[in-house]
Amino acid sequence: MPAEFVEARRRAGLEVFEAEPVPTWRRSGFWTTTLRGLDLDALEPKRYEPGLPELDLGDEEHAALIVQRGANVVHVDVFDDRVTVMPLEQAVEEIPERVEPYLGKRLPLDEGKFSAGTAAFWTGGVFVDVPKNEKIEKPIQVVWLIDEPGTAQWAQTLVVVGEHAECKVREYFLAPDFEGQALHSGAFELYALPGAQVDLAHYQDWGRGEVYDLSTRRVEIRRDARVKWVPIHLGGRLTKQTLDIITAEPGSDMRHTGMYFTERDEHLDLFTTDKHEQGHTTGDTVWKGVLTGDSRASYEGLIHIVPGAPEVDTYLQTHQMLLSPKAKGDAIPSLIVEVDNVKASHGGTVGELDPEQIFYMMTRGVSRAEAVRVLVEGYFEEVVQRLEDPGLEELVRRRIAEKLKGAEDQVREFIGERAEAA
Amino acid sequence: MTLEIQNLHVRTEGREILHGVDLTVKRGETHALMGPNGSGKSTLANTLMGNPVYEVTEGRVLLNGEDLTEADPDERAKAGLFMAFQYPATIPGVSVANFLRMAVNAKREEPIKVKEFGAKLGENMELLRISRDFTSRYLNEGFSGGEKKRAEILQLAMLQPEFAVLDETDSGLDIDALRIVADGVNAMRGEDRGFLIITHYTRILNYVTPDFVHIMLDGRIVREGGSELADELEDKGYEWVREEVAAGAG
Repeated sequence: MPAEFVEARRRAGLEVFEAEPVPTWRRSGFWTTTLRGLDLDALEPKRYEPGLPELDLGDEEHAALIVQRGANVVHVDVFDDRVTVMPLEQAVEEIPERVEPYLGKRLPLDEGKFSAGTAAFWTGGVFVDVPKNEKIEKPIQVVWLIDEPGTAQWAQTLVVVGEHAECKVREYFLAPDFEGQALHSGAFELYALPGAQVDLAHYQDWGRGEVYDLSTRRVEIRRDARVKWVPIHLGGRLTKQTLDIITAEPGSDMRHTGMYFTERDEHLDLFTTDKHEQGHTTGDTVWKGVLTGDSRASYEGLIHIVPGAPEVDTYLQTHQMLLSPKAKGDAIPSLIVEVDNVKASHGGTVGELDPEQIFYMMTRGVSRAEAVRVLVEGYFEEVVQRLEDPGLEELVRRRIAEKLKGAEDQVREFIGERAEAA
Repeated sequence: MTLEIQNLHVRTEGREILHGVDLTVKRGETHALMGPNGSGKSTLANTLMGNPVYEVTEGRVLLNGEDLTEADPDERAKAGLFMAFQYPATIPGVSVANFLRMAVNAKREEPIKVKEFGAKLGENMELLRISRDFTSRYLNEGFSGGEKKRAEILQLAMLQPEFAVLDETDSGLDIDALRIVADGVNAMRGEDRGFLIITHYTRILNYVTPDFVHIMLDGRIVREGGSELADELEDKGYEWVREEVAAGAG
């Protein structure tokens, strides 16, 4: 018997999905994110036989690993039996009492066609439950894999971290380089219960195929809990994501540090909110991006402090670096503060590599390509180090180096052009 | 083995700054290039290293007979040229130690062994009285003026180039720091290395005695002599040079 709370949510979601048009997101200035290029009718959920596909996750060891390929979970490995990690479908059947209080609590159905669609159509799914007072040293790895064009993946992840529990959660979004379109419509919720300490990372590398990623991720942090969240975006044809981190009770703290690297004709549209629902909460958000090729990237970061939330201390910084004359982007920090007696500040920069830095390094015998690589890696280093996970850090550094190698010619051209213009 | 600057004309931002500079530095020699602000000293230093902001419209730069006028900065470095910057760039995310290792390896076929690098670094840091924690900081990020200059001289000591240009390395240093830097330079002077010390003031020349002094004014070298020329300049000032040149021209 399917659980009624899930069925009710699916029905409500379907209603919204069918009523809503395919959205276009517009903002002041040049920015528009459109799904005009996506042939939704040509996509379908694809099911696969169980088995562990070959994966590069940076870390060899884990407390648990769950892999969803297309529409179903193909592999579950739980090494540390203190944690519950299983397909969400299974959790809904077997332990509905642990799922019902949380599923969709921070994901209302009135947030557009695709979030409603995810609520209606998700299959497989991931449920992670870390019991209270347990300290789980090794990462819990969740993998979403799309390996064929024509795939529609409706993805729902629910993570509950018990009181005073400590854990590391890594969610990966991976695809090989294929030709053709695919959709990942994702919903991620994480609830850090009072006193919990969560080290969370998202790693997106959809490859060179036309993967559209439309996702909403929300993290709720309860009293005296702390979440460090590092989202990494390394590829995808079009990404439209809403990432919200909510300090919901006094004493909660968030560290939100993200990065993106766009290339070719990729389009990335990120909107993050650092939301303070209660007083005596703290936050720190830093986002850094690099754009190459003809890519487009927009990052908008909001600090929102609601009425009745005094003594908040938070700031947000966003930086963007253009490495190609044809790339376009913006990085917009904003503030909504509906209360006095808080500390909130923000800043943003959009710039290019400094020719003086490149010249300086070259006078030390370093080639131009190497100088660019070192400068870009150095620029990202602040974010990469926040992972505090050598295996994953290495994976990110390696991918950045590979992408820079691919962009070498245009970077050289761009830097040369700048130098002549100077 | 020489660094030859021949009839160098240089433009930047649509304006000619150097109007035909000739200067030859042989290995084993230390030259001082002096001049007031805006005389073109830093333009010369940057042009020697191939800064793309400066355009050579006439003349040549030769190192050991090899024409480097059009060479990229990294090729010049590999050929044996080095410049200590007046205003070195900040390199975020790259520690002093990692930067030094990269620079040292850029000139070698095989990367330097960790132990050898560590020993060399330790030795040079002692010479320049640099504390241990300095090398783990990001290069020039949050450095004081004096720390930046010392980091430049540390690079000079690690790279051991054939020819080194010091662009106003003395400016902004207090007496103690100046002495340490001068001691470092003196320790590196020798038969196999040439120095071109660019300075506005004479005080560094009290510690590093030059073999030759050149005075630059408005993009030309207008006076040349031995170290006594620096003393004379100290007494009489740049106005004296300007008046002499004007009188000579008239």
